[in-house]
Amino acid sequence: MTIPLGAYLLVGATLFAIGVYTIVAQRSAVMVLMGIEVVLNATGLNLIAFWRFVRPDDYSAQIFLILIVTIGAVEMAVGLGIMMLLYRQRRTVQVDSYTALRG
Amino acid sequence: MTAFDIAQIVAFTLCAFIAVAGALGMATTMSMFRSGIFLMASFLGVAGLFILLAADLMGLLQIMMYIGGMLVMILFMVLFMHDPGGAMMAAMPGMMAPVERFFSGGLQQGEGRNGDHADMHAGNGEAKEADRENRQNGANGEHHAQHDGMQHGGSDMSMNMEGTHMDDMDMSMVTPVRRIAAWLAVAIGVGLGALVLLRPSWPTVTRHPDPRSAEAVGMLLMGKYMIAFEGAGFLILLGIVGAVLMARVERHPDNGGRDARVGRTDAPPQIAPDPVIPPSPDERPNEEHASEHHAVAHPPSHRRPA
Repeated sequence: MTIPLGAYLLVGATLFAIGVYTIVAQRSAVMVLMGIEVVLNATGLNLIAFWRFVRPDDYSAQIFLILIVTIGAVEMAVGLGIMMLLYRQRRTVQVDSYTALRG
Repeated sequence: MTAFDIAQIVAFTLCAFIAVAGALGMATTMSMFRSGIFLMASFLGVAGLFILLAADLMGLLQIMMYIGGMLVMILFMVLFMHDPGGAMMAAMPGMMAPVERFFSGGLQQGEGRNGDHADMHAGNGEAKEADRENRQNGANGEHHAQHDGMQHGGSDMSMNMEGTHMDDMDMSMVTPVRRIAAWLAVAIGVGLGALVLLRPSWPTVTRHPDPRSAEAVGMLLMGKYMIAFEGAGFLILLGIVGAVLMARVERHPDNGGRDARVGRTDAPPQIAPDPVIPPSPDERPNEEHASEHHAVAHPPSHRRPA
């Protein structure tokens, strides 16, 4: 076991930070979804790293990762459906052009 | 240190670099299509890390689900976007931060604006200096380069904004708060990294997991976690039906009975002027009166103009 747990956690932290930057800074809804995917990837990486180094004989972490991937896929499908609907109505999917609920 | 350890370190470095550099390129390039390809590289790197962590089933799941499923959806939606190739932003390199310029190099350029060129060249010189400084930062330099670049790109943007319209902001793929976002991301990354480095005493064990982990995962999935598994399946079904119901075509011109009852936003159909009685200006248009005459003259399909 030459590579410590901290190295994987650092990679996960970097991926998480980049994902948060993408979610906040991008204006197109597709890019926001991509950022969410990167954040979910960082979560899964941390989960699997902890499984491997702390409880390698309990496979619940892999089940949890399967559920995370499933929910990510459903969220992506529904998000893209919403974007198709918005694009048909207003011909744009930039998230800062939908300000109808601004007070 | 055996050859196996060296191979492990090399594999980890390669996969971590691919994952992080792919994510960084996804976040900073101006071309949305290139973002999708960078995202695929990031997924592949994370899948390699999963395999390195002895979770080979999860690595395969990552490749099949993310790259085979989600990335196809993303690249399909990118085709709907405004300027997916980033051509308009590529024509204005002065508005980009150095990291963004690095990751969007070689993009096909659209039409640049003549008024921006002077500002652009002025900004280029400064940006090159900032880039040179960033290269000297060394370790952890990517984050600083990003953050410095955002700051610099922000100042360039404000410089350009003074002379031109608000249209320039609409071309950009990123929001005006990207400087704050970069600061926030750097703060989160540094905070999480400090948490990891300052408390490295996790109760780790040294035994290796069973190499036949797929069998154990399958048994768990069908035994202990069956409710969660079935719930995930039901969630997928709901998601598919919901997405199709939301994104389906609203109008079927050949068959009005198939028209969707959701998401209708168009105004109610105009009441056509009566062909028999010419409308007088003082008479208020009476809907009941009009529809009475129009039930015969206009079939129902005409009420819903396509």
